[in-house]
Amino acid sequence: MICSIIVRNKGSFRHIAAFGLLILLIANILETYGKDFFHVNTMQLLQFDRFGFLFNSIALGATLIYVLLTGKEIEKSGKYAAEYFTLIFFVLCGIFILSAYDNLLMLFLGIEIMSIPLYILTGSDKRNLKSNEAALKYFLMGAFSTGLMLMGIALMYGGTGTFQLEVQRISVGMYKGVSFLEITGLLFLMVAMAFKVSAAPFHFWTPDVYDGAPAVFTSFMATIVKAAAFVAFIKLCDVRMTATLGAIDWKLLFALIIVFTLLIGNITAVFQQSVKRMLAYSSIAQAGFMLFALFNVNDVAKEGLLLYTAAYSLATIGIFAILVKMKDYTFEGYNGLAKTQPVLAATNTVFLLSLAGIPLTAGFFAKYYMLAAVVKTGSYIWLVVVGVLFAAVSVYYYFRVIQAMYFRNGNAATETITFSFKTGLIILAAIIILIGILPQVLLNWFYF
Amino acid sequence: MTASEIIFWFLSVLALFSAIMVLISRNPVHSVLWLIVVFFAISGHYILLNAQFLAIVNLIVYAGAIMVLFLFVIMLMNLNTETEPQRNTWLKVIGVISGGLLLTVMVSAARSAGELSNKTALIGAGDIGLIQNLGKVLFNQYVVPFEITSVLFLSAMVGAVVIGKKD
Repeated sequence: MICSIIVRNKGSFRHIAAFGLLILLIANILETYGKDFFHVNTMQLLQFDRFGFLFNSIALGATLIYVLLTGKEIEKSGKYAAEYFTLIFFVLCGIFILSAYDNLLMLFLGIEIMSIPLYILTGSDKRNLKSNEAALKYFLMGAFSTGLMLMGIALMYGGTGTFQLEVQRISVGMYKGVSFLEITGLLFLMVAMAFKVSAAPFHFWTPDVYDGAPAVFTSFMATIVKAAAFVAFIKLCDVRMTATLGAIDWKLLFALIIVFTLLIGNITAVFQQSVKRMLAYSSIAQAGFMLFALFNVNDVAKEGLLLYTAAYSLATIGIFAILVKMKDYTFEGYNGLAKTQPVLAATNTVFLLSLAGIPLTAGFFAKYYMLAAVVKTGSYIWLVVVGVLFAAVSVYYYFRVIQAMYFRNGNAATETITFSFKTGLIILAAIIILIGILPQVLLNWFYF
Repeated sequence: MTASEIIFWFLSVLALFSAIMVLISRNPVHSVLWLIVVFFAISGHYILLNAQFLAIVNLIVYAGAIMVLFLFVIMLMNLNTETEPQRNTWLKVIGVISGGLLLTVMVSAARSAGELSNKTALIGAGDIGLIQNLGKVLFNQYVVPFEITSVLFLSAMVGAVVIGKKD
């Protein structure tokens, strides 16, 4: 439905892109409340529900902020500014499919439409060898995971005879009512999705790609795209994995993945010297937290995932917006930022606190909801303890940046900061604190 | 044994044998040629299942276009046994172990599944694979993914231009 509007939006300037996003956002919000503009019969391939619409609103809002804050940098990062914006719109189109898919075919298409423009955005800095390497690595690994995913979907088709997400199950001659083909297929699909969300055993591409890609596009990749992959994943878990719980212990599997992801992400982030690379590892760690929502899919988990998406995306977009303005991406580069650019340092602190999950910021409630979803299951309390412990570890490396900004001497070199950029950052920080104090502002939409 | 059974066994053995040959051939060009044999064998299976369209597409796209691309890449990169990098022995061992585990799991799962026993594929019957029915399904039930695929190709095209254009 929405895609056709998007594709025409080939804005050659960031203003057109921002305007298009605004129109889409308004259209999406209107559609959430039942005012659809034109109706397409999708033959039950796509199903637009409240959760998906709300996620679309968050994704669109975050992209709008992203374009407004860092649009200039996108234009600077290469010769083809118009194409970059177009590719971002293509990614959004994939995201909309992912938030509404009701059929495994659409899941595949959505993932591909989302990934292929990203490969190009990663390699957009053509003169930079690291960017080229990152793009090639991302492309090869991505193609491999796509292969696994297709194999999984084919096996699931063999097991159930349909691509539809919800299936009628007949339990004759099957292991506990589930076809082994479906289980194998689901495992393959899980591997592919875990790759897309960079969960632990499949995370190896993440640091290199996030580090090599131009910082503006890393910011987009690490936030909105990752969250969309999670939404696709949660829909899959909600229906297929819950239905096959009798035959395979998904919970244990997810618990292992979560612990491993948190361990790798947090511990490795501690040892990084470059803020950009630290953020890449921290995004793995944050993915570990988002996985809590998949562990036990219930209303709290779904709300939590939306909240987490909003909190994490906004904060990370803010941090990256400041990062691209810095001349030096290492921790030393941030020394004494509080003296040269007090506004930047203050807002950056808010974003970092939100990522670390300190109360009064959005990140706290996001983490709280995630853990509450697990507590609701009644068992696996040890998993919650592990989560809290690693949240404490994460505070260390986020505070290293804050320490560098406020308590170290040095003059952090930045590019010229315009007044509107500062205003944007302050508004963003205000939104994060607002969600942190009143998370219901966002969540009430869920029930209207 | 009926004629179609003989063909089936012949094609299966051919497919498996040439697939193994793809892996163990030292010369990459030989690998590619064996891969073409695999595709031909699989296309034969499709014809046995009365899916002519799929068989022809498989031949044209895979055995035709993609294999030519493979050959070009191999010739451009000038791969041969001398330039092949030495792989770590540990990596090989780990690869064998993990691949073997996956194989064991899948084989034992397939063996223990009751649903596959006493079932045979429809051979020479059914008209699902014919192009007429395929077209009908594609433009009725699956028209949405069909149209959305164009977005995918458009994005890939834009990307190819962005990457490939000279600065």
